[in-house]
Amino acid sequence: MSLHRYNSVFVLIFINSYAFGVFDAVNVTAPVSATTPQQAPSYVSPGSSAVVSPVVFKPAVEPAFSVALRSSFPEDLEVSEYCAELLRLFGQRYVAFVDCLVPAARPVKVCQNCFPEYHSLSEVFLNISSDQMGPGNVSCRDSILRSDRLMLVFLLNSNMDTIWQRSNCIQCVKDLSGPNNDTLYYLTLLNQTITCFEKYKQGNLTELCKNCKDAYKRLNDLYSRMEGNKTLCIDLEDAMNVTRKLWSKNFGCSIPREETIPVIAVSCFMLFLPIIFYLSSFLHSEQKKRKLIHPNRAKSYASLMNIQDKRS
Amino acid sequence: MANITKKVSWSSRGDESGPAGEETPLLNGSEQSRPLTQMSSGSTKFQIGRLSTVDLEEEITTEEQESARGRPKEIPHNEKLLSLKYEIVKFTEAGGLSISLILWVVLNCVFVMLGAIMVAFFEPIAAGSGIPQIKCYLNGVKIPRVVRLKTLLVKVLGVICSVVGGLAEGPMIHSGAVVAAGVSQGRSTSLKRDFKIFEYFRRDTEKRDFVSAGAAAGVSAAFGAPVGVLFSLEEGASFWNQMLTWRIFFASMISTFTLNFILSIYHNKPGDLSNPGLINFGRFESEYNLYEIPLFMGMGALGMLGALFNVLNYWLTIFRIYVHRPCLQVMEAMLVAAVTATVAFIMIYFSTDCQPLGPDHNEEYPLQQLFCADGEYNSMATAFFNTPERSVRSLLHNPRTYNALTLGLFTLTYFFLACWTYGLSVSAGVFIPSLLIGAAWGRLCGILLASTTPNGLTWADPGKYALIGAAAQLGIVRMTLSLTVIMVEATGNVTYGLPIMLVLMTAKIVGDYFQEQGLYDIHIKLQSVPFLHWEAPATSHWLTAREVMSSPVTCLNRIEKVGTIVDILSNTSTNHNGFPVVAQVSADDEPAKLCGLILRSQLIVLLKHKFVELARSRLSQRKLQLKDFRDAYPRFPPIQSIHVSQDERECMMDLTEFMNPTPYTVPQQETSLPRVFKLFRALGLRHLVVVDDANRVVGLVTRKDLARYHLGKHGLEELQLAQT
Repeated sequence: MSLHRYNSVFVLIFINSYAFGVFDAVNVTAPVSATTPQQAPSYVSPGSSAVVSPVVFKPAVEPAFSVALRSSFPEDLEVSEYCAELLRLFGQRYVAFVDCLVPAARPVKVCQNCFPEYHSLSEVFLNISSDQMGPGNVSCRDSILRSDRLMLVFLLNSNMDTIWQRSNCIQCVKDLSGPNNDTLYYLTLLNQTITCFEKYKQGNLTELCKNCKDAYKRLNDLYSRMEGNKTLCIDLEDAMNVTRKLWSKNFGCSIPREETIPVIAVSCFMLFLPIIFYLSSFLHSEQKKRKLIHPNRAKSYASLMNIQDKRS
Repeated sequence: MANITKKVSWSSRGDESGPAGEETPLLNGSEQSRPLTQMSSGSTKFQIGRLSTVDLEEEITTEEQESARGRPKEIPHNEKLLSLKYEIVKFTEAGGLSISLILWVVLNCVFVMLGAIMVAFFEPIAAGSGIPQIKCYLNGVKIPRVVRLKTLLVKVLGVICSVVGGLAEGPMIHSGAVVAAGVSQGRSTSLKRDFKIFEYFRRDTEKRDFVSAGAAAGVSAAFGAPVGVLFSLEEGASFWNQMLTWRIFFASMISTFTLNFILSIYHNKPGDLSNPGLINFGRFESEYNLYEIPLFMGMGALGMLGALFNVLNYWLTIFRIYVHRPCLQVMEAMLVAAVTATVAFIMIYFSTDCQPLGPDHNEEYPLQQLFCADGEYNSMATAFFNTPERSVRSLLHNPRTYNALTLGLFTLTYFFLACWTYGLSVSAGVFIPSLLIGAAWGRLCGILLASTTPNGLTWADPGKYALIGAAAQLGIVRMTLSLTVIMVEATGNVTYGLPIMLVLMTAKIVGDYFQEQGLYDIHIKLQSVPFLHWEAPATSHWLTAREVMSSPVTCLNRIEKVGTIVDILSNTSTNHNGFPVVAQVSADDEPAKLCGLILRSQLIVLLKHKFVELARSRLSQRKLQLKDFRDAYPRFPPIQSIHVSQDERECMMDLTEFMNPTPYTVPQQETSLPRVFKLFRALGLRHLVVVDDANRVVGLVTRKDLARYHLGKHGLEELQLAQT
């Protein structure tokens, strides 16, 4: 169902750069958002993004510039130990999730592969954002999420949430227990179809069309039914797209243009009817007599004559 | 539209080999669910149909402002019926394409036949868009049966039938006007019920005010354009004042609100008032630049396509005089439906423009896929099967690239089909089709413009050009003022006011060059309606009242013999409506002194109540009251139905008390035609007595005398008006 399957390369590139960009952001700005600005916000050029290490929260990173915010703020404004720990956890899981997402971008296997990572990530975020007091009577919600204009942690999380929502993964994998029954059944059918394709691919393609039709049709029907129930996620949509493309484009199994002659004959007949109708009504029916109203004018003036006279 | 069921499977090859018939496996495989869907759509349809009739009944009792409420039901109703039709077409897919072509044609024909039979045999006035008729009514012409309940019913049902039958979308202004007229009278003669309210509105002037309010409310409900009040202003400005404008404006607002509210209930979101208008173009956000204005005006000049439309339709309408019998008219409508379906089918069949299905693509139609690969759809099929309104919206807003060839072919066929359709005896308007045609060629212009440079102009958003094209094409009706407002309001973007206005002006100027009248005016003229335009023809100032008037005049005495009155009224060859009352008619047709004016309707009421005064014996019965005249309005009985005995014929009748003692008069020599014209326009006159210097009646001017004069190619011309 995905619209942009021919754009897949671009999508991949986009996601790549996006993901690495995120790495940068995490590496550089996480400490700032955590209100422990022990290092200056150093700018990492895009070129270095390929070698970014997954380490996220290290209070003792060497500053890039000689002048930096060295002195720490008074005690009560600092992030507590507990929150710092939560933030570190968030960073780790975030990296793990993105690590999982990028390879699953093409062909799309986001939901099947990455749901545990997503769940652990959202678990941490839930901890951060809950307003329940942790140990030491501190709530990390205010100190981590709401202390500055950027609200980086919130932003990062909402990005990931958007990805998850747009991929509709919730339809296929509800919770940690894995894909639901519909999805599994669908995958089974898909595998059958693909196996069938593999089997007959070498030989005559008409053979393939004939032999794999049942499997393909079952898959197609199931897909449409799930489409109606709205139980599809991006993985299934993408798989169906590829299969349909194989079926219609590569193997050429959609219906051919047949029976052109009868269609043209019927159309010509239809198009001739009005000509006959108009001709016959022109020839046979009489034109309705238009009763003209003749004006009674005062005797001395015949007005049309008059018009001619006056104009000259 | 959610109920339109799932897509067609021409693609999976097994259909031929599998068990044919109703077991045809669909792409979505919903054999089990299909009957269910069908049933639900059927039952909803029934329910909505019932609702809307109930609504109409209520309408008459509820207060006047909510006039356009009968309409909102309609389009949903249509969509349900359409989906039902597609269901039926789908059943035959196993049989082959030619079979389903025939079936489609037959179905369209049947629906159109129903609509055409209703119109042709029961209420011919309900044909067409109704706007010309309402225009005439507001102009002051009395058009029989135009605001009857029966007309409304035929119209609404006819619109449903014709839209389901694949013809164009329908008229809301007429319906609004009928509802308003019905409400204002506080009774329905067709239903034989009198609610004894609003008796004071039972006069032509009052009723006309209500009709203009109803028309405005219809416009505002249709387009979500409460300032559609300007439509009434444009069409009925001669009888206009500030208070009335304000009331009508209020009525339009309420009508939009009511529509909104009912639509919100229909969409299961009661209270969410964000559905303005039945025809919703969606919000229009894109911007335009100064350098685009000449481009827009160039497109406005392309509005000569509209002039072409008008010319073609004019010749077609003249030719249709040959097709005047009702059964022939029904046949013609059916043929148009058949050809429309066939042409659409051929276009779909030979189109190779396949587009990938998007996630937002949830409406589905038969033939949607046809020869396209799985997961793609035939964009020509979508163009033809969508409701016109939806197509317009997609042309204005859809970022998807349309194939230029598809769009061009679609525009071309739709242009001729719409031209052919308008003027049939079905209730189908011209507004939405021309909007669609214009949007299509406008979008085409945008696409071509973008393709002139290799990487595409970034500012050439085709949606913008579609809007401009739609405005230019609507120039066919030449209603610049209300169209500007309607377009601006329907797109929800005031900044487009200037381009739209410029485009409409350009289109009007270019159009006037080729064909000096708008489509509605052409039809008014062809129907011989004595329609008075804004101004008298330009070179008519040297014509005097004496040359224009009809003479001699049939006059009545102040005390007239009943026999004479009955004879005059029964004379079918003259069929006059107003009679000057004079002191004493002399024998040798010498003009006599004017005392007043009495109307045919008044005479009929007098005769009906036997208000005769036996010459000397003074045997007067009960006093006749104004109420008696009101009660007879608007359907005065014909003179033939009043029985007058031989004795009564000899009686005398004193007209002094009933005539209008101060009719408008003009002196015969000194009054020019433009002055007479102004009096008629400004006062809404029907009769103007021409007198000489001794106040003696020499002639009578009616609308028909004025409407004959017309500025043609060779100066002032006199037209022959036909009796209708």
